[in-house]
Amino acid sequence: MVEVDSSDLSRDTLFGVEEMEINFGPQHPATHGVLRLKLKVDGERIVDCYPVIGYLHRGTEKLFELHPFFQNVPHTDRLDYVAAATNNLAYVGAVEKLLGIVVPPRASYIRTLLSELQRVSSHLLWLATHAIDIGAMTPFFYTFREREIILDLFEEYCGARLTLNCMRPGGQPYDLPVGWVERCAEFVGGFPEKIDEYEGLLTENRIWKKRTVGIGILSPEMALDYAVTGPMLRGSGIGLDVRKAMPYEMYDQMDFDVPVFYNCDTYDRYLVRMEEMRQSTRIVQQCLEELPEGPLMAKRPRVLKAPKEGDVYHAVEAPKGEIGFYIVGNGTPNPHRCRVRPPSFYNIQVLPEMVVGGLIADLIAVIGTTDVVLGEVDR
Amino acid sequence: MGDFFGETLYVYAVVPFIKIIAAIVVVLTIIAYTTFAERKILGFLQVRMGPNRVGPWGLLQPIADVAKLLGKEDVIPNRAVKWAYVLAPCLVVGPALLILSVIPFGPPSSKGVASSWFITDVNVGLLLVVAIASIGVYGLLLGGWASNNKFSMMGGLRAAAQMISYEVPQGFSLVVPLLMAGTLSLVGIVEAQLTQGRWFIFGFFPFGLLAFFIYFVAGVAESNRNPFDLPEAESELVAGFHTEYSGMRFALFFLGEYANMIVISAVAVTMFLGGWLRPFPSVEWLSFLDLAFLPAGLAGLLWFLIKLLAFLFVYIWFRGTFPRYRFDQLMDLGWKWLIPASVLAVVATSLWKVVLL
Amino acid sequence: MSWIKRFLDKILLLDLFAGLGITFRHLLKKKVTVQYPEERMEPAHRFRGMFRLDEERCIKCTLCARDCPIDIIYIDWHQEVNPETEKKEKLLDRFDIDIQRCMFCGLCEEACPTNPKSIWLTSKTYELASYERWQNLYVDKAELEDWRVRPAYTDEEIV
Repeated sequence: MVEVDSSDLSRDTLFGVEEMEINFGPQHPATHGVLRLKLKVDGERIVDCYPVIGYLHRGTEKLFELHPFFQNVPHTDRLDYVAAATNNLAYVGAVEKLLGIVVPPRASYIRTLLSELQRVSSHLLWLATHAIDIGAMTPFFYTFREREIILDLFEEYCGARLTLNCMRPGGQPYDLPVGWVERCAEFVGGFPEKIDEYEGLLTENRIWKKRTVGIGILSPEMALDYAVTGPMLRGSGIGLDVRKAMPYEMYDQMDFDVPVFYNCDTYDRYLVRMEEMRQSTRIVQQCLEELPEGPLMAKRPRVLKAPKEGDVYHAVEAPKGEIGFYIVGNGTPNPHRCRVRPPSFYNIQVLPEMVVGGLIADLIAVIGTTDVVLGEVDR
Repeated sequence: MGDFFGETLYVYAVVPFIKIIAAIVVVLTIIAYTTFAERKILGFLQVRMGPNRVGPWGLLQPIADVAKLLGKEDVIPNRAVKWAYVLAPCLVVGPALLILSVIPFGPPSSKGVASSWFITDVNVGLLLVVAIASIGVYGLLLGGWASNNKFSMMGGLRAAAQMISYEVPQGFSLVVPLLMAGTLSLVGIVEAQLTQGRWFIFGFFPFGLLAFFIYFVAGVAESNRNPFDLPEAESELVAGFHTEYSGMRFALFFLGEYANMIVISAVAVTMFLGGWLRPFPSVEWLSFLDLAFLPAGLAGLLWFLIKLLAFLFVYIWFRGTFPRYRFDQLMDLGWKWLIPASVLAVVATSLWKVVLL
Repeated sequence: MSWIKRFLDKILLLDLFAGLGITFRHLLKKKVTVQYPEERMEPAHRFRGMFRLDEERCIKCTLCARDCPIDIIYIDWHQEVNPETEKKEKLLDRFDIDIQRCMFCGLCEEACPTNPKSIWLTSKTYELASYERWQNLYVDKAELEDWRVRPAYTDEEIV
C-alpha cells in the first residue's frame, strides 16, 4: 500500500477538495478475473491503490496434500487456467526431481513443444484482452482465430482444450496422433505472418503508442525488490529467463533468443511479448524437426512414494513469469506440503507502484500489461 | 384571401409538412439500419458474421431490437430530477433531426421550392447548421446531471467538454468551403461546386483536403465515436452519462448518436463532396454518370445517398480499427492540433483567394 | 533524410492508414463462424466428453473410484455365486458419478485395467446442459449404460 501525504491535496478553492474512494470491484470487465482494487482518486488522478485478492481461493494447496502425486496434475491445470501446460510441467518436473525419475527424450521433446505452444496461446489471449481494454476491438477476434487452431492441436493430443492434464510424473501418457506433426508444422509456418498483422494494427499506431508509451513505469530495482518475473522484468531491462538461467527439459539444446527492452513502460512489455511469440515458434519448429523416437514413460514404481525426508523446488518459465513448485515429501504417496510460487501474485504487488499518480484510464492499461490471471493469485 | 388558402398554404405549409415527415421517416429508417449495418460490418471486419438469425441475413434485426427496447421497464431513479431526466434524450435527438431541414438532398427544381429535393433553403443555412448542432450538448449534460449518480455526472461533463472543444475546429473548417463558394446558403454552396466544376475537397489543394479531414475528425469526436468514445466506453470506470437510462430512453440516446453521425456526414457531403453532384461535374465525357434517365433529380438523391453511406461505412471502419484516446490526449488533440490546423487552413485559403483575385 | 520520412509519416498518418488497410482486407476473407446448430464442431478423437460405462467388461476393481482426484465415483459391489456357471462373481450394485463436480480429467479412464476399457470418456459429446440441476447431473448405473449421446436440440443420435 502506497501512502501519499494528503496534505498536499488541500487547496484553498471555493468548494473544498476531497478524495473519493472507489471500488474497482471484483466484477468489472477490465480486471480479467475477480481482482478488487480499492482506489482513492482525486478527480481522475489515482492517489492510492490497494489490491484485495482472495475471491478465487479454492484451497488448491490443501487439495494437493490429500491426493497422491499423479492425481494432483488436473488440479495444477486450474492455477493459471490460460496456460495449463506450463503449470503441469512445473509440477511434474518437481515430482520427478523429488523422486529422481529421468524422463525419456521423446517425452521431453513433446513437453517442450507443448509448453511453447501454450506460451503462444497465452500471449495471444493477453494481446486480445489488452487491446480490447484500450479500445481496439479487432485484434481480439484475429488472435482468437489463431488460438482456435492451437486449442484444436491440444485437443487432438490430450483430449481437452483448456484444462489439459497432458503430463504425468515420469513422461507423457499419450503419443502424438497421426498427422499431428504435419498440422503443427503448417500452423507455425503460417504464424509469423499473423504476428505481423497484429503488429501492423498496433505497434506503429500513434493512438496505441500514446496510450502505452511512458505508462506504468517499473524501474529495474523495484522489479527485483518485489521478485517480479517474466515479461514484466524483461521489459525493464533485466534479461532473466528461467529457460536460460536454470534450463529444464530440452531448452538447453534449443536455439532461441530472449527479448529484453529497456524503457520500463507498457509499450516495451508489449514488444517483449510479441517477440516472445516469434521465438516460441522458432522453438516449436526446432522441436518438430528434432523429435526422436523412443519410449514415452520412464521406468517408475507403480505407486510413487516420496522419500522420507526431502524437499525440492522446481521452476519453469510460464508465459506470465516464473512458476515454481516447492514439494516436501514424507514417505507416503501424498505430498506433505506442496507450495506454488505463482508469478501473477508477485506481479500484482507492483501494481500500486505503477499506477499511483496516473489516471484511471492508465490503470486499465497497466492491469492489462501485468497479464494477471486470478486463478494463480488466489489458488 | 383565396390566394392564401390556395397556393401559399400549399407551398409553404402542406408540402414542407409532407417533406418533413418523409425526411424523418427515411432518416429514422437509415438510423435503424445503420445500427444493423454497424454490427454486420464490424463482424465482417473481425472475420465473423454479424447477426444473421432474424430474417434473411439478419435484416429484421433492428425491428427485433426496437421491440425488445420498447418492452423494457420504464425506470426513473429515485431522486433523479424528473423533468430533466425525461427531457435529456429529446434534446439529443431533436437538434440532429432539425438540421435536416436545410440540407439539400437533391437538386432544386426549376418550378420552385415546393418540388425541390430539400425542405427549405435558408440563405444563412450554414450558420443555422452550426448553431443548432451546438444545442446537442445540452442533452448530454442534462442527462448526466439528472441521473443523481456521481459517475454519470462525471461522464456527462466529460462528454460535454469533448463536444464543446471539437465544435471550434468543426466550425473553422467549414469556413474553407464557405470562402470557396461565397455564400452561406447550402444549396448555393453545392451550385457553386457545379459552376466551379469540381468538388470543394479538391479546391485550393491541399487546403480543401485539410479542411475536409479536420471536419471529419471533429465530426467523429462530436458524435462520441471511436477513437474518441471515452465518455461512453464500457471498460472505463465512469460508465458514461447514459448509465441510468434503460429501455426506450436509452434507445433515444443511441438514436441521437447515430442521427448526429448522419447529419455530420450529410453536412460533409454537401460542403465538401458536392451534395447531389456526380464526381467531376464539369468533365463532359463522364456525363453518363448523371443518370439522366431517372426522372426529375432522382439521380441527385441517389448520388447523395451513396456518398452518405460511404461516410457511414468509414465511421464503422474507424470503430473497428483504432484504439481509444485517453481523455486528456483527446482534449490535447482538439485544442493543440486541430484548432491551429483549421486556423491555418482558413488563413491560407483566404490569402490564396486574395492573391488569385 | 529519415527525419523527413518521420515528419511525413506523422503528418500523413501513414500508420493509421496501414491499420485501416489491414482491417479492410479482412472484410473480403472467409469468415470463421460456425453456424451452430446447423453446423457443429466435431471434437477430436481423444476428446474427453461424457462418460460411457460398459457393465459387462467392468471387473469391479474400483481403481477408477480410487484414482478420481475429487472422489465423485461411488461404486458398490457384492459377491454372489452365479447359479449357471457355479462360479463366484462380482455384481455391481451402484455405480454413480456426480457430474456436477466432474472435471473430465480422464484419470478414471486411464486407471481402468480392462482392454478395451469399461469406462471411457471419448463419447465426443459436450452438450450436457439441462434445465434443472438434478436432471442428468447425477448419473446412476442405468443412465450411464443407456446414455443417449445426443445434442439436446436435435433428435439425431451420435453413437
